[in-house]
Parts: sequence; C-alpha cells; structure tokens
Amino acid sequence: MKLDRLQTAVFAGALALAAWPALKPEPKTDFNLAAFARVPVLEGGRVKPLDSFARNTMLAMRSKQSVPVDGKALPPARWLLDAAFKPELADTYAAFVVDDPEVLGLVRLDQGKTRYFAYWQLEPSRDEIQKQAALADEIAAPQRTRFQSAVLSLHGRLAMYERLKNTFMISGSGDPVLELAAFSSLLPSALKAFHSKKQTAADLRAMKALSDMLQRYNFIAQTAAFKAIPPKEGADADAWTNAGEAVVSPSGGEPHPSLASFAIMGRAYRAGDAAAFNAALSEHTTWLAQYRPAAARAARSEALFNKISPFTTGMALYILALLLIFAGWATRRPEVDSAARALAWAGFAVHTAGLFAHSVLQGRPPVTNLYSSAVFVGWAAVALGLFAERFHKRGFSAAGACVIGFTTLIVAHHLKSSGDTMEMMRAVLDSNFWLATHVVTITIGYSSTYLAGMLGIAWVVRRHLPLKPDPAASKALSELAYGVIAFSLFFSFIGTVLGGIWADQSWGRFWGWDPKENGALLIVLWNAFILHARWGGYARERGIMLMAIFGNIIVSLSWFGVNMLGIGLHSYGFMDKAFLWLSAFCALQLALMLLGAMPPRFWTERADA
Amino acid sequence: MRRNDALSKVVDGLSSLKLTLACLAVLMILVVACTLAQVNLGIHLAVERYIRSFLVWWVPEGSSLRIPIFPGGGLVGGLLLINLVLAQFRRLELSWRKAGLWIVHIGLALLFIGEFATAMLQVESNMAIEEGQTRNFSEDYRRMEVVVADATDPGFDSEVAIPDSLLRAGRELADTALPFKLIVRGYHENAVLSMRGPGDAPSGATMGVGAGMAFRPRSPATADNEQNTSIVLVEPVLPDGKSLGVYLLSNVLGAPQGFIHEGRSWKLALRLRQYRHPFSLTLKDFKHDRYPGTNIPKNFSSLVRLKDEAAGDDRDVLIFMNEPLRHGGLTFYQASFGKDDTLSVLQVVRNPAWTLPYVSCVLVSLGLLWHFGVMLRKSLGRLS
Repeated sequence: MKLDRLQTAVFAGALALAAWPALKPEPKTDFNLAAFARVPVLEGGRVKPLDSFARNTMLAMRSKQSVPVDGKALPPARWLLDAAFKPELADTYAAFVVDDPEVLGLVRLDQGKTRYFAYWQLEPSRDEIQKQAALADEIAAPQRTRFQSAVLSLHGRLAMYERLKNTFMISGSGDPVLELAAFSSLLPSALKAFHSKKQTAADLRAMKALSDMLQRYNFIAQTAAFKAIPPKEGADADAWTNAGEAVVSPSGGEPHPSLASFAIMGRAYRAGDAAAFNAALSEHTTWLAQYRPAAARAARSEALFNKISPFTTGMALYILALLLIFAGWATRRPEVDSAARALAWAGFAVHTAGLFAHSVLQGRPPVTNLYSSAVFVGWAAVALGLFAERFHKRGFSAAGACVIGFTTLIVAHHLKSSGDTMEMMRAVLDSNFWLATHVVTITIGYSSTYLAGMLGIAWVVRRHLPLKPDPAASKALSELAYGVIAFSLFFSFIGTVLGGIWADQSWGRFWGWDPKENGALLIVLWNAFILHARWGGYARERGIMLMAIFGNIIVSLSWFGVNMLGIGLHSYGFMDKAFLWLSAFCALQLALMLLGAMPPRFWTERADA
Repeated sequence: MRRNDALSKVVDGLSSLKLTLACLAVLMILVVACTLAQVNLGIHLAVERYIRSFLVWWVPEGSSLRIPIFPGGGLVGGLLLINLVLAQFRRLELSWRKAGLWIVHIGLALLFIGEFATAMLQVESNMAIEEGQTRNFSEDYRRMEVVVADATDPGFDSEVAIPDSLLRAGRELADTALPFKLIVRGYHENAVLSMRGPGDAPSGATMGVGAGMAFRPRSPATADNEQNTSIVLVEPVLPDGKSLGVYLLSNVLGAPQGFIHEGRSWKLALRLRQYRHPFSLTLKDFKHDRYPGTNIPKNFSSLVRLKDEAAGDDRDVLIFMNEPLRHGGLTFYQASFGKDDTLSVLQVVRNPAWTLPYVSCVLVSLGLLWHFGVMLRKSLGRLS
C-alpha cells in the first residue's frame, strides 16, 4: 500500500491527538495535585500511583472515574485528598451509586431523581447495612438474591471509603503534626516510666497518654486503605508500611521522614495552606527519588498511562474510522477511503501502544484478567482485520476490525469498575510462560472468530441494501471469512490444548470439563463444524456466513457466559447488567442470522434480485 | 458380493462427512448440557452423566424407569474416532497437499485415545502430610475400603482391605488370611449417622458402637468438596457358622472396632481407600507466600524428601504451583494446605496416558500450519 500525503497527515494528526494529554501543560492548581497523583503507594500487593488507587476506588464506588461537585468533575487525586484529610467535605460528595430499589428502601432514600448518594445520606443506616451484609455474606455467592448482592456490594464500598478516611489520620480529627511530635517526645519518658520500679503519678500519666496514642495509631495501622510509607533505605523493597504501622512498629532507629511529610501535608491541606503542602510533598518525592527510585519511576509511568488513557482515544479513532469507511462506501471517493484507512491504522497504533504499555507496567504478558482479555481480543481482531484487508481492498474487514476494536474497548472500559486492571495473579496463574502461550493463543482464537462473525454480518447487511448485485464482493467476503475461520480453528485448538497441558502441569488432569474449558472446546468444535460443512459442500456461501455469525454467540458465551453460570437461574447479583447485555448481543446475532436466511431484500417490491 | 455391498455401505456411512458433522453437533450439545448441569449436579456427576457415558438417561421423577434420550460422550467420541480413522483411509489421498490434514487427523485420534485412556486408567488420590511426617500411601477422595487387621502384635499390623465395589448386601467375603468370613448385611454409599434416639429404628448392629446408633440413607454427595458418609454393616462368621455379631462401620467413626478370636485381636474399620507406594515422602517445609500487604496467595510450595530405595533416590524435591513431582509413574501436585500452614495436601495422579496430549498438540499444530500454509499460498498465488 502506498501512503499518500493525505493518509500521512491524517495518521500523524490522529497520533498527535492521542498524545495530547501528555503534552499539554498541567493545569495550574494551588495544591500540586499532579505531583501528588504520582506518589507511589503499596496497595493490592503492588506499588501503584495514588492516581490509580483514586481512580479504581472511585470506579468501584460510583462506576465513574470522577465525582461531580458543583457541576465540575473533581479530579480523582483531589477527591482522595478530601477523603483522607477533609472527610467532613468528602462525606457530602455523591460518591456512591445505589441502583437496587430494595437497598434504597432499606436506607430509606428516594429512588427517583438520582442514583448517586453521599456518605452522610447513608451513614444513618450504616448499622443496618452492616447487619444485612453480614447475613448476605453467609450465603454462597451464586445463591444470593439481587438484594443480598447489592447490600453486600454497598457495604464493601462504604467500608473501603471508611478505611480511606482513616489512612493518615482518624477521620480528619486532631493535628497530625502535633500528635506525631507529642508521640516522639512522650515515647522515651513513657518507656522509662514503664520500666521504672517505683512509678510516680507523672509516670502513670505519661504511660496513659502513650497508651491512648498507641491506640489511635493502632487503629490507623489496622484500617488504612493503603501503605504510603516506603521501605527505609536498605530494607526489603516490599516492606511498605501504612501511617499507623510506621509509628507503632518502627523498623528501628529514627521515625521514617515520610511520616512527617504526610503529617504536614494533612495539616496544610486542612488549613488550605498550599505552599506548606507543596513543600512537604516535594520533600517526600525527593526522598523517594533518592531511596526508592524504582517505585517512583513505576508510579510516574503508570500515572502518565492513566492520563493518556490510550484505550479511550483508540475507541474514538475506531469509531471515526468506521464512519469514514461508511462515507467512503456511500460517496465512492478514494480520498475518503484512504483517510478512513489511515484513521483505522492510527487507532490500531494507539491501541498497540496502550496494550504494550499496560503489559510493561504490569510486567506480565498482555492477557491476565477479563479486562485485559477484552483489550487484547480487540487488538488481535483489528490486527487480523487490517491484515486481511490487504487481500480484498473493499473495506469490509477494516470495517469489521473497527467495530470489534470499538466494542471490545467499550467492554473493557466497563470491566474496569471491577477493580485494579493490573491486579496480582493468584498462585496458580502466576506463570508468565502459560499466560503468554495458552492465554494469548486462546484469545487470538476469540478475536478471529469475532472477525469472521463481523464479515458474516457485513455479508448479511449487504444482501439487504439497495445495491447493484455484486457477486464478486459477496465472494470476496465469504473467502475472507473462510480464511479467518481457518485461522480461528488453528488458534482456538492450540490454545485449548495448551490450556489442557497447563492444567496437567498444575493440578494433574489434562481435561476436567469445567465451564471455561468447555467454552473453549465449543469454539473449536464450531469452527471445525463450519470448515467440514464447507469441505463437504453441505454449506455454501450463505450457510458459511450465517454460521460465522453464530460463532459470535459461541465466543461471547464462552468468554463471558461461563462467568455468569447460575445467574438468571436463581440470582441477579454479580454481573447482572452484563448478563442483560450478553443476552441482547446474542439476540441481535440471531436476528441477523434470521435476516440472512430471508431472501435478499425481501421487503422491497421486487421479491428477488 | 452382496455381503460386501452391505459392508461397504456401512463403511461408507461410518466414514461419511455427514457423520462427522452430526457427531460434532451432538458433541456441542453434550458439552453445553454438561456445562449447564454443573450448576446443580456438580462437575463430577455432570461429567459422568453426559460425557463419560454411552447414553444419556432420563429418569422420570419418582420412577425406577431409565429411558435413554440422547447419545452420551463415550458413544459420540467413539463414533467420531471410527469416522476419523475410516475417512482417513477411504477419502483422503496420500499426497503432500493433504499431508497437513493427515497429520492433524492422526493428532486428533491420539487426543481421543488419550482421553479414553485417561477415563479408564487415571487414578487420583490425595496425600496429606504434616511437617515432619513421612507418608508412603495416598488416599482416594471418594472410594472406600473395609479393613480387617490383625492387631495382636502391636509392632506388626497385617491388613486385609476389601474395596467398596465388593460391598453388596448379602455377599460373603472370605480371605485366606482370615479365620472367618465377613457377610455384608447392608451397605449405604451415603447416609446421615447419629446416636440412636427414642423412636429411631435400630441400626441393625449388635456389637460395637454401632449398636447405639441410627442412620438414614441418602443420595451420594455430588458437590466437589463434599464427602460421603458411607455405612456398612458386616457380620464376621466362623467356619462352623457361629456369628460374632453385626458391626456397623463408617468412615466417619474414628476408632476401629474389634473383637478377640482364638487369642488374636481383630480390628474392623471402613476408611478411604489407600494406595501404597514403594517409596516415601517426608514433608520438610510448607510455604504459603502472599503478595505484600494482602492475603492474595502468591505461591504454595512443599519441600519434601523423596526416599525410594529400589530406584536409589534419596533427595529433596520442591513441589510448587505448576511444578509437580513425577516419580514412579505418579505425579504429585501441590493441591491444598491446612493446619495453620503446617499441613500440605498433595494430589497424586497415576495416568499412564499423560504424554498423549502433548504429542497430539504438536502434531495438530504442525498439521494445521502445513495445511493452512498451503491454502494461503494458493490463495495468494491466485490474487497476484
């Protein structure tokens, strides 16, 4: 393919647009929010920037990455600061989404105007929520009713927020700087008093004061939402502590300098003293740069990744490219076509960069959980689609690629709210070799089956458009679909067998017929069925195309459906919305197959074309 | 000639592509049914019912009738294998162009054979070892055995084990090592066992703790982590026909019961079936690592000492996730743990067919690569 000037310009322009969030100057704020967002903390077993923690928590709490205050979106880092240091303010933000009418009834809140509620609105019913959650917790997850799942989820989110409020200080009470100073000055005298044989009244007072303080710090040690105090120089890189632990059980010697930095930040933030806050923050980051440069660097990169948010840009580029492809078909102008192609490639480039960055940041092969599988399925489908486009340059497979790229990124976006997208791998999954081989090949199988399905849909839609009959185009589509299905069979088979081998390596059985394995097997069987039907001449162009569309249903069920087993039978809790979407998607595919089975343009006067 | 006609028709049918398609479709239906059934039946029973059976049976509620309603996995898999092999020789020419398909189909046949062999031959058991303990046997998860032991000499225990497959009410069990025979008076795979209260029917036992107990039979456990409470009533009878009483044995009863006969002390018990191994494992250390600041498990590992005099082995082995120990035709996997991380449970699998999927995977990959490579080249050649 020769690049013309238009294509180069569109491609470069799109990339520049994608990089813009990183290039644009940071908005001037009195408090240095940008630097605060980049501060590394240990949470969920890994070091991450506060920015990621704030975004993930916000997503989990209200299904959005930010909370609107007075009509303006509050940056995640700002919300975190408010929750940690000014909880009386954060308690008024509508940070909790509550959908379930029965839960709303329980907490006596009106369902109507809004689904978002502030902590102070839920606080009066806090004990009742806890009680109901404890009851629900005794029921096994698949058996829970919708109400039980909802109340358990709300309790979990409230508890998370409460922990955040007690991460540096106890719900914003007291002056952290003074307390820390009092503690360090009291410690020697109280210790002496403790060991002295004849304790005076002053000794007893000192001991009592110390015990009170220890109680407060112990409380923080137990509840803090994350560990913000980095390991001291020379300590193990994993030995992070939270603001309570660092005081209660110091690792010997002087108290950690970062403790004082965070205490000053807290006091300054409460007092609105931006200069003091920024100075303390810079003291902390300087210490990090000197003693924990790796953690600081990793957190900085991840915060940058969050800011660029390549998958959002990718989504936008794909949808634009798709619209341009349609425009190209409608206008038959070559320059529209080439611009569309450039945009699709730009979308793919951004998607690739994002995928690569996510893998590098996590230090894992690209697919580790449902979220990253969605990103990867889209990526591989687009790669294959753009490659297949080179065989039949009619825009069909590019369009299919854009649709899948866009859809999977949307799906990934919604999967984000289930938590950290770079979560740690549980023991049996902790194997980069198998993640890189089995998981990647099986997801490529998903991608190509979807691409074949999209080609089938394109074929069906074309049949019913008032176009001049173009058998060559139909043939091109079906040949492409055949190639893609063959490709699918290869990858899904290899992926499935590799999965069996992994299972044999880790728990001694090659094949156990569990739902996930069965899902993978179904894809293999279905692709084999299509190919054999074609080889035997039992299915011709239309049959192949309709079966390819059915492949969409099989992949979706095997990808998401098995996670919902038992749902719809006696539970509406976990992933209930996803269940509805999945059902809608399958219904749509069936409708398309039905449409394809109808005579072409049956709705026009002319019965046959 | 005529007979050959009929034969060739059958062979035609068995090797036809139509049969392939039908089998693939039926297999898909079975897989879906098996997956959905797991919600209620548990994985083990669902697989038994749909996959590891020749026919799927329907038992109408409250009747003893069994009606076959669908071919089972065994039948379809077998047909598919026959179909594959016959089609191979009847239809596929032996040429370089088709070499890929040949290799693929050979690989698939191996995979099928491997799965059949696994279903027939694989034996799974558990070995639970506490730190410092040495074990030379593993226990089945489900199957039980009755043990009759001569415990007269405390230093030397000689045992006769009777597998549960022989336990049928009314059956007589005899062994040359035993001076009496055992008559099975009742056997229940699963039951609720309790102390006998007023109004409970007698258990049927006349000797031992079972005489004061009552039980109510129930259907065997289906959930994967549930265990049966099996109950067997046995009556030791001397050669002269004299009964020594009826004993109730169960795997949930701790201490063995027994009697003294001709100066020898005999113990009776029902327990999970044990598999003896000609080597021993000693657990030196069990480790359970977590990610920092969380309870997310990062790794489980067992450091064991493997001693096998016959093979000349006396060495340390680290068994951990994705790294099993293969020794003496058995594979030991890190499966579970307990007792505050001082107990390690290893899964022990004997599967002589374990290498087949590996070979098959390689063959099918190569074959498909070859075949689709040839196709792609052809299609590219046509385009340019």
